Amino acid sequence: MRLLLITLLLISSLNAESGILDIEWPQIDPTHQKPSTPYPDVLTKGIKDTKLPVYIPSTYAYDKKMAIVADKNFYTISFFIDKAIVMIAGDKTFQETISPSDAKFDKVIKPSAVEFVEDEGIMSTDFNRHGVNYTLSIECDDYKTDTRCTKEEFLRNIYNRLIIVGGKK
Amino acid sequence: MRYFFIILIVLALTSCASKKEDSIKKEPEQTWKGKGFTYYPSGQLLPTNSGKGRFGDRYVYAPGIRFPLAYAPAYLNSQVYGIGGRYGPRGSLCDKRNYRYPWRDNFCEKRNRKRSMPLCPAGTGHQGVDIRAKDCKDNTHYAVAVEEGVITYIGSYSVKLRGITGRTYRYLHLNKRSLQVHRGQRVWRGQKIGRVSNNMGRTKTSIHLHFDIKQTIRFGNRSKSVYVPPYASLVNAYKRLLRGRP
Repeated sequence: MRLLLITLLLISSLNAESGILDIEWPQIDPTHQKPSTPYPDVLTKGIKDTKLPVYIPSTYAYDKKMAIVADKNFYTISFFIDKAIVMIAGDKTFQETISPSDAKFDKVIKPSAVEFVEDEGIMSTDFNRHGVNYTLSIECDDYKTDTRCTKEEFLRNIYNRLIIVGGKK
Repeated sequence: MRYFFIILIVLALTSCASKKEDSIKKEPEQTWKGKGFTYYPSGQLLPTNSGKGRFGDRYVYAPGIRFPLAYAPAYLNSQVYGIGGRYGPRGSLCDKRNYRYPWRDNFCEKRNRKRSMPLCPAGTGHQGVDIRAKDCKDNTHYAVAVEEGVITYIGSYSVKLRGITGRTYRYLHLNKRSLQVHRGQRVWRGQKIGRVSNNMGRTKTSIHLHFDIKQTIRFGNRSKSVYVPPYASLVNAYKRLLRGRP
């Protein structure tokens, strides 16, 4: 009986309504709009249709070997570094809706600090900026001994160097 | 006399409640007509120190997805707390008892990690589920796309598929040489991705598929991208696979 009740409560709380999130564009730094040296074609062409702020680590902004998969609502960019891959993804869609006062989902609703955590050997962080959800991660060939995947400093350093390189309003 | 009746009613209700508690603790596995498939309810982890699951949540977060392995049988159970696992009974990871029904949820299973998992009762836990293929043969059984979408990322041992719904599905431990997809490739539901193996970069893990689902939950004008419980979605998907209509 209790199980049934919990199930009914959970079902009634979640709403499988999906759509596009309202995003708030930042006051874009003009230096992001017009870099002193033009960004490589692979980047400008890859994100030409993307309608959200495209963040990438400044360290790799001119890396011509980056791989980009994008459309108007999301992007994923991978950078191949020595025996590891750095990935950043942004997405402005949602798949479920809950009430902002729903106590059953308090852990989801509660604001949380940005954390850098290793899971399944992959160091990653999730964060929200301008209403868009982003993921930044690094996956190492040797996740057990490579400190870029065992300690957070490397990824945190990349996180601190994220810049907006494009995206349409 | 009135107080006597009140006490009697209170005692009866208390007894009834404790019986309900017992019945929950001893809830039998769920059975399914045909093909012998049985499974424990969502959130019921192994009755050891494997953590606290999201018990009672039968909500299907990813309705209509295809089962992520090409064919049945497949066995969803813990790699870490099962036979041969790091915290499990002694034995081989390929022990036949690991390749049997009933299925057992392992989302939210306690792992040696601190990642916030907002949909786990403890606030931390395993982000997805581990699935064993038909048998313990390495690099033999195919994982397939659960939804039409695009391959957004391929790492040393992980592949990400972004479905047309916007959900992101992650496949871990596929044999890298067996991959049938490349970054940016559009895939249809059921298309082969790669073969299940023990690939975890230079270090090997057990032969299994780690599968997880990440999606965005909106609340008011805010939102959060979280790993959601895949178990109920996979039970439904597996039943469709067994019916021959994956």
